[in-house]
Amino acid sequence: MKLFLQLIFIIVSFLGIWLGLSRIDWMTTFQVEKASNDIEEKLGDLYWDILKNVNDEIKDKELVSPLDSLLTRICQRNDIDREKIKLHLVDKDEVNAFALPDYHMVVYSGLIQECENEAELCGIIAHELAHLEKGHIMQKLVKEVGLSVLLSMATNTGNPEIIKQAIKVLTSSAYDRKLELEADLTGAEYLINSGIDPEAFAAFMFRMSAQEKGLPDQLFWVSSHPGSEERTQAILDYSKDREVKKEMILDSLQWVSLQEKLLKD
Amino acid sequence: MTDATPFAYKPGEHEAEKASNSYLMSLIAVIAGLPLPIINLIATFIFFMGNRKGTYFVRWHCTQALLSQFSLLAINTVGFWWTVSILFRDGQVSNQYIAYMMTVLGFNLVEFVATIYTAIQTRKGKHIVWWFYGDLTDVLCRK
Repeated sequence: MKLFLQLIFIIVSFLGIWLGLSRIDWMTTFQVEKASNDIEEKLGDLYWDILKNVNDEIKDKELVSPLDSLLTRICQRNDIDREKIKLHLVDKDEVNAFALPDYHMVVYSGLIQECENEAELCGIIAHELAHLEKGHIMQKLVKEVGLSVLLSMATNTGNPEIIKQAIKVLTSSAYDRKLELEADLTGAEYLINSGIDPEAFAAFMFRMSAQEKGLPDQLFWVSSHPGSEERTQAILDYSKDREVKKEMILDSLQWVSLQEKLLKD
Repeated sequence: MTDATPFAYKPGEHEAEKASNSYLMSLIAVIAGLPLPIINLIATFIFFMGNRKGTYFVRWHCTQALLSQFSLLAINTVGFWWTVSILFRDGQVSNQYIAYMMTVLGFNLVEFVATIYTAIQTRKGKHIVWWFYGDLTDVLCRK
């Protein structure tokens, strides 16, 4: 009995101290959020600077504005602060788009050319936005690159070769299946809220996965997002009973003009 | 938390040294085993197995050293996996997490200091009985 009471006393003491300390706002005291935001900001800038140095960013307003309109609509309809997202359109033939730390979103011109309509492009934007909003970027980096490497990169002491590898992780490799599915379904929800049918996104993935067999090197976005058929089905299942009030964001001329201009460039 | 109490007999020099080593074993393992909490327990358990046929004084202190590792193992394991989930899964640093890690650190420090003190005193042949663990050892360790 005495032993039992002593054991209870130890457990209660532990829980009491823990709960007591939990009432103090350590997150503010230690500035935890600020420190992690600082690291993410430095990593985002570092990644974008390196990408910018090896690729041409398209700054032409006539090309960037339509893309910006699509992103703005999705953000507005889903209560996401548009201002925090740094959208970059890059002149590159690869069919690719990806998110970088600190809310950088990169879309390659090759991807826009491959999309048949704005809804398909919105699907990919919504998917990448979901990765950003769910905090998948840093999770993936910590998992695949390692916290110590990320800290050394953020403090400018990283090995250039490792930094190169770390960039490859975000631009051309998949998130794990669970994160991809979460981004697909969250993206589908964003689309429905924005008046865009997620079926178009599913159709794009399906079409790309069929084409991928003949053109594996160009279709980065699909080859880095495996299991497209299953994911297509998951998106269709998620949205099948949802009513989507379809609303166009760009008029058909704007969309055609965007694709034509990208082709000329 | 710890009491020097008379033992059933006066332990010899060799016994005091072995009994003291059982505590040192867990200390060395703490340093080598961080951040894997199971290492301390394994090291202490191996030492315990090696001395389970030793004299009563040696067995008693090996048992007390081993038992004291169990509660630390439990709280440290939770802390370890909580940290892993934050680093590699979708866990978030929170006030509860920071408070938990501080509490764990506090309990580990108390245990660390008590272990050093007990190792020194036991080496002198003194019988140090820990609160709770000492009573539990009395129940488990037969003469």
